Amino acid sequence: MKLGLAIDIDACVGCHACATACKEWNGESLMAGGAPDYDPQGPVPAGVWFNRVRHFEAGDYPDNRTLNVPMSCMHCEQAECVTVCPTGASYKRAEDGIVLIDPEKCMGCNYCAWACPYGARELDEQQGVMRKCTLCVDRIYDTALPEAERQPACVLACPSHARHFGDYDNPASHVSVLARERQGQSLLASLGYKPVNQYLPPRAQAQIPQPKAPPAPDTLKKRLASMVNTLIRL
Amino acid sequence: MKPALSVIFFTVSSGAGLGLAIWLVLAQWGWAAAGGVPTADQPLLTVAGIVSLVLVIAGLLSSTQHLANPRNAWRSLARVRTSWLSREALCALLWLALAVLHGVLSQQGSSLVPWSGALLLGVSVATVVCTAMIYACLRTVPRWRTWHTPVIYLLHALLAGGLLWALLRAATGAAGGLSNGGLLLSLLALTLTVTLLYEAKFSHRVTATLNEALGVPMQAPAGQVQGRVRLLDTGHAHRTFLTQEFGFVLAREQARRLRSLMVLLTTVLPILLLLLAPPIAPVLAVACVLFLAGALVQRWLFFAQAEHVVRLYHGQSRV
Amino acid sequence: MNPPLTDAADHPVRFEDRSRQRVEHTTCYMCACRCGLQVTLQDDEQPDGSIKTRLRFLQGTAGHPVNDGVLCAKGSAGIQKQLSPAKLTQPLIRRPGTERGQGIFDPISWDEALDLLTGRLARLRSSQPRQLAFFTGRDQMQALTGLWAQQFGTPNWAAHGGFCSVNMAAAGLYSIGYSFWEFGAPDWDHARYFMMWGVAEDHASNPIKIGLEKLKRRGAKFVSVNPVRTGYSSLADEWVPVRPGTDGLLAMAMAHVLLSRELFDAEFLLRYTNAPWLVIEAPGTSRDGLFLRNAQGHPLLWDQQTQAPAIQAPGCAPAMFGRFTAPDGTAVVTAMTLMAERALADEYAPATVASQCGVPAEQIERLALEMAQVAFEQTITLPIRWTDAWGVEHDQVIGRPVAMYAMRGVSAHSNGFQTCRALHLIQMLLGALDGPGNFRARAPFPKPVPPVQLPENDAARIDAPDTACARPLLGFPTRPEDLAIDLRGRPLRIDKAYSWESPIAAHGLMHMVIRNAVEADPYPIDTLMLFMANMAWNSSMNTTGTQQMLVARDPEGQYRIPFIVVCDAFDSETVRYADLVLPDTTYFERFDAISMLDRPISEPDAAADAIRHPLLKPDRDVRPWQDVLIDLAGRLKFPAFVDEQGAPRFAGYEDFIVRYERAPGIGFLSGWRGKDGDQSLVGEPNPDQWQAYIRGKAFHAHHWPDSQKYMRFANREYLEVAARAGFIGKAEPIIMQIYSEPLQKFRLAGQGLYDGPCPERAEDRERLVRYFDPLPMWYPPIEMARTDEQMGAEAFPFHAITQRPMVMYHSWDSQNAWLRQIVAQNALYMNAQTAADLNLADGDWVLVESMHAPVQPQPGTPDHARMNTTEAHRRIRCQLRTMQGCERNTVWTWNAIGKMAGTWGLAKTSAEANAGFLLNHLISETLPARPGEASLTNSDPITGQAAWYDLKVRVRKDPDQTPPPGAAASGTLASIEGGQA
Repeated sequence: MKLGLAIDIDACVGCHACATACKEWNGESLMAGGAPDYDPQGPVPAGVWFNRVRHFEAGDYPDNRTLNVPMSCMHCEQAECVTVCPTGASYKRAEDGIVLIDPEKCMGCNYCAWACPYGARELDEQQGVMRKCTLCVDRIYDTALPEAERQPACVLACPSHARHFGDYDNPASHVSVLARERQGQSLLASLGYKPVNQYLPPRAQAQIPQPKAPPAPDTLKKRLASMVNTLIRL
Repeated sequence: MKPALSVIFFTVSSGAGLGLAIWLVLAQWGWAAAGGVPTADQPLLTVAGIVSLVLVIAGLLSSTQHLANPRNAWRSLARVRTSWLSREALCALLWLALAVLHGVLSQQGSSLVPWSGALLLGVSVATVVCTAMIYACLRTVPRWRTWHTPVIYLLHALLAGGLLWALLRAATGAAGGLSNGGLLLSLLALTLTVTLLYEAKFSHRVTATLNEALGVPMQAPAGQVQGRVRLLDTGHAHRTFLTQEFGFVLAREQARRLRSLMVLLTTVLPILLLLLAPPIAPVLAVACVLFLAGALVQRWLFFAQAEHVVRLYHGQSRV
Repeated sequence: MNPPLTDAADHPVRFEDRSRQRVEHTTCYMCACRCGLQVTLQDDEQPDGSIKTRLRFLQGTAGHPVNDGVLCAKGSAGIQKQLSPAKLTQPLIRRPGTERGQGIFDPISWDEALDLLTGRLARLRSSQPRQLAFFTGRDQMQALTGLWAQQFGTPNWAAHGGFCSVNMAAAGLYSIGYSFWEFGAPDWDHARYFMMWGVAEDHASNPIKIGLEKLKRRGAKFVSVNPVRTGYSSLADEWVPVRPGTDGLLAMAMAHVLLSRELFDAEFLLRYTNAPWLVIEAPGTSRDGLFLRNAQGHPLLWDQQTQAPAIQAPGCAPAMFGRFTAPDGTAVVTAMTLMAERALADEYAPATVASQCGVPAEQIERLALEMAQVAFEQTITLPIRWTDAWGVEHDQVIGRPVAMYAMRGVSAHSNGFQTCRALHLIQMLLGALDGPGNFRARAPFPKPVPPVQLPENDAARIDAPDTACARPLLGFPTRPEDLAIDLRGRPLRIDKAYSWESPIAAHGLMHMVIRNAVEADPYPIDTLMLFMANMAWNSSMNTTGTQQMLVARDPEGQYRIPFIVVCDAFDSETVRYADLVLPDTTYFERFDAISMLDRPISEPDAAADAIRHPLLKPDRDVRPWQDVLIDLAGRLKFPAFVDEQGAPRFAGYEDFIVRYERAPGIGFLSGWRGKDGDQSLVGEPNPDQWQAYIRGKAFHAHHWPDSQKYMRFANREYLEVAARAGFIGKAEPIIMQIYSEPLQKFRLAGQGLYDGPCPERAEDRERLVRYFDPLPMWYPPIEMARTDEQMGAEAFPFHAITQRPMVMYHSWDSQNAWLRQIVAQNALYMNAQTAADLNLADGDWVLVESMHAPVQPQPGTPDHARMNTTEAHRRIRCQLRTMQGCERNTVWTWNAIGKMAGTWGLAKTSAEANAGFLLNHLISETLPARPGEASLTNSDPITGQAAWYDLKVRVRKDPDQTPPPGAAASGTLASIEGGQA
């Protein structure tokens, strides 16, 4: 299996629901190991987030577009973060391609973060180990959850249904179909990491034809003259 | 990239120690060919060996300061098959073992010395190269991913080691001026060339743009997303791990000044000193200090000028 | 190289231990959306063996009418709200000898607090009841708070709608029978064209997110009219950067296009609107502009077949246009003729309005034509049989699938009411209302236009001691007699709602209460009670000024507002100004009814309401405010709350909700009624009702059968059900009002022609004549016009508006540990090209000024608003950010991010307190006065809606570019390349 996400940029309104749902789940997840907050009421509130939403603009006024781009671990096929890790803390599962961190082994050298183009890994300053998206591996395989809830927290939460989860190895899966139909892209594909998460680009602008209608008269008098009664019985 | 002083010190210090070991072994080969170690040079051998060991150990200790969870540092040998950092750790440990072994054998005048020396030289080179490859293998930092990186690391190691060797020779009373002057000058010239080529390569090079990072074309048919991409909001109010680790901003003017300083300290001034000044210990000491200072600046710039592609997602338009 | 792969067996997945968890359902309260919340609770065993329950995970309730399983960032961050250190922990009383605003309190027990409050309120109630002003902010239980105030006998109650978006509510209720805001929703499943006006993150937040994706997926076109392109507008196929305050011009121009191209649904207009009604043309008389009516008072239309006036009935053929003479000689004209004469004038031609609203003429024309194309050439028909209110059977429902939604960008202007009416006009012209693909009604709407409910205006009744008001305190006036004024025409309410100054103030004017009380205009009050209303901060138009007023003293040294009670769950800025603080629970700790009698969670396809119930026990000395209100009601012996012996009738809030009936069978919660809990919408109280809701995942939905889903304003089956359910009085058709006779009556009063009360003051007469146009129209927002008039057109060139960030809308949760990592300070956004023209750069610290005179800083005034009172203008200091997606003449910022230092449990050095800022400091609650003119509220003259988007400012670079301490690093690397070049 090649599990991953499809993220629809033509549906993301930048509400950060995915980022917060992830924080909520993983704050206590036994697989993620926590997502601490530093200085929560203080002047520099910061913390570990596995998913962050960044906002961009493309083009110049008034033809500009606003793009909201959530980014989390892409669970790359060529996961350099795993290749470079000296301790073996960073690992990629053979069965489904999910990239995880074993905090028991991590020495906090940050090398994997240097290898990640997408900023998916953040250091837990309190424990000295790296943290990242687990694709909610402890939700998707948890048979104690109802089947509909065996999804990553971010996918369940997304109010505009801009996040989809599935198996890219299966060409008939929801994410595979979406990626094909919407021409899903990898971010920074030129680096060769083969990220599994696909981003669905904004669709072309919807077009509406002109209606059949008489031309507009050029004076008020003429316009009023065409306001005639037809016989319509109620 | 945020320059971490512990890592900068580590690479310069161990590089110097490893380079010194290389010169030491080469000298031993020279002596062996000439019939044996001159008694006058025995103290040099010992001092150089100790200095080399101390520099490498100091460097390695410094490098562990960089770890957020050092109790797992011992695990860094686990992924030699894929990780340059793992390989570097292995080489460093091998080097320590070999250095001690070679040192003992050298003191004993054993016949195995040429062999242990060869191994030590090989592992010294390997360690330097592995260290450099930790950075050069990363596709995420274009400024590191170039053949110049391991070459410059090796050249610096050889120069630092060579200047130290010359200094120690002079300080322990060896006769006859510089034994490796010609080699040093060639290495300095080579270093100057490679450094200038490196800076020229990256002065205007663009590996990726923010547009590419998000897959937005500059131009597209009407009705589709297109045009220059700019950051509107990073989605966080304050710092993150990423902004701290990768957000270092070096002003252009300051970078220029530091590059000039680096070239001056690591090549121009040592060349001038070697050509124009007498090869006495004080002069060689100055040359060492200048070079090592320059090497620290080079290493600082190596990190400070390095731009990680994740900066694109923080609003930088080109990396 | 390929990364090494690891067998899963080497690292077995560790799943969550669910042995001590359980799942409950309730309703979220982070904003006004009321999403269904599925809560995973964890029952942790404590060392002493006791069990402490806490929140483990929050997610959306699957199948819920509002959110169907999704949850936004605020909802998921509810855990941090529950854990917030800013929670109030016990009742507090201001320490004697200290000043209001210092925030020095002593703890007090609930018994003492309630005895104190009861004593004071009892004295007021038995002497001058109107001396109590009770205003609520973001409360969602107005059915209870309004009833309480009515029972007390004071007219001085409202929630925050007058400050927020009453223009949308009122315009809809006076035009189409339901409204944008909360009483309708777009049909996301069938719409083929969706136009969104002035909507940022707003009411119905998750449903809009769910809906927009559906639209995009179905290939519908989404157009966003908004000066800023963020949030929802990111997804728009077309972004129309309109100049703030000119949406009405744009709308009227679109109506012009539709009419001039003969693109309107004649049948819809004739059948369902008052387009054919006959308007009397008798200038100078008291009948001018009123409808021609028969002896029974029914309005008349002109039947083309009989060439005579007639009432609407099957078989008649009304004339859409024309001037006629009634049998008694009265000259009459159809309403539609008047509408056409107005809309078709050159004044509203696209070419005329283009430069003023900033939208090119060809674009205006194209957008109108696109809507028409979709409405008339992409018509939907659903094979649904239904019967209309006149008994005619139809075998299909026609959908003209153009939907609209509009909110604050239209509302928060002094022309918002008429602008919104112009939007409804477009919908009526297209026949695009409550059909498939349209903006559709949500139960209990549609209601008659306007709803049949008049506000209490009997001065004798109000002033009678120990007497409840007879009518509800908020309502919908239809004529001058309905105003809440005394015999001399002066306002009966402290906020002057329903006076000549704000006749149709359907939601009151919360933003005027403090000023009016301090000025004793119309009269002073004794006690101000505030619930969840942050009046000393972001819920005021003139923040520093309001703070000053709260501590203002009379010549004898007494506070002009003698007693202030603040009820809230968290330590807000307003808590500082209280004399008595009554701490509320969080939404996880109490019962709530999101009631069909108020603003329920209905969707177009289902009438729905919801509850909250306690999932956690409060660990501090707090009480749910509803329980406190009912307790007070019992102590004060409100008639509805005590029995014949004067003993409390209800045991508490839960009992009250179940057993209180507004009319037989009509109660707060519409589900599981009847003795057996098997009736919905109407039925006897069911003692098990709360449990039924709890079992039902905290909500109840009554799904409309297909035959009752559409055209409900004229759907006989639906109207009959609605009458039985108490939504409407009688099962009669609800005719939409293009021409609003109530407005015309007020206009006649302004002209001195009305056969009844007329205003005395010239200012009031002028406003009624100018603004109370019975037909939609556009006029320049009042403060904008006066700023240009008094200061010069380019003196304050920027429109200054705000919007809500999606992560904090309505929850203002800067105390939220997670959400404040996303937004902790705000900047002023400006168009990048505009900034470049002014030599301003991204990141510059700037000074922003409005025309109003500075206000003396108060102890809590933050540095960015410390104005030098010797200068001419109000000023704040903030950071500038540039962007592309901002209209060239507009600057904007996020609302309510700035906080007062020391509040909300945040460190005094927080960015919120030091670099975050409120635009509110620049706004004035009164209009710039003309010479000799009485002080007028800076609000829409029709509804009293606070017009805070009318603000005009100027922006210049501060010579001192030092950032304030605590300002967050901008977090962007754009600066290394010289900013947004």
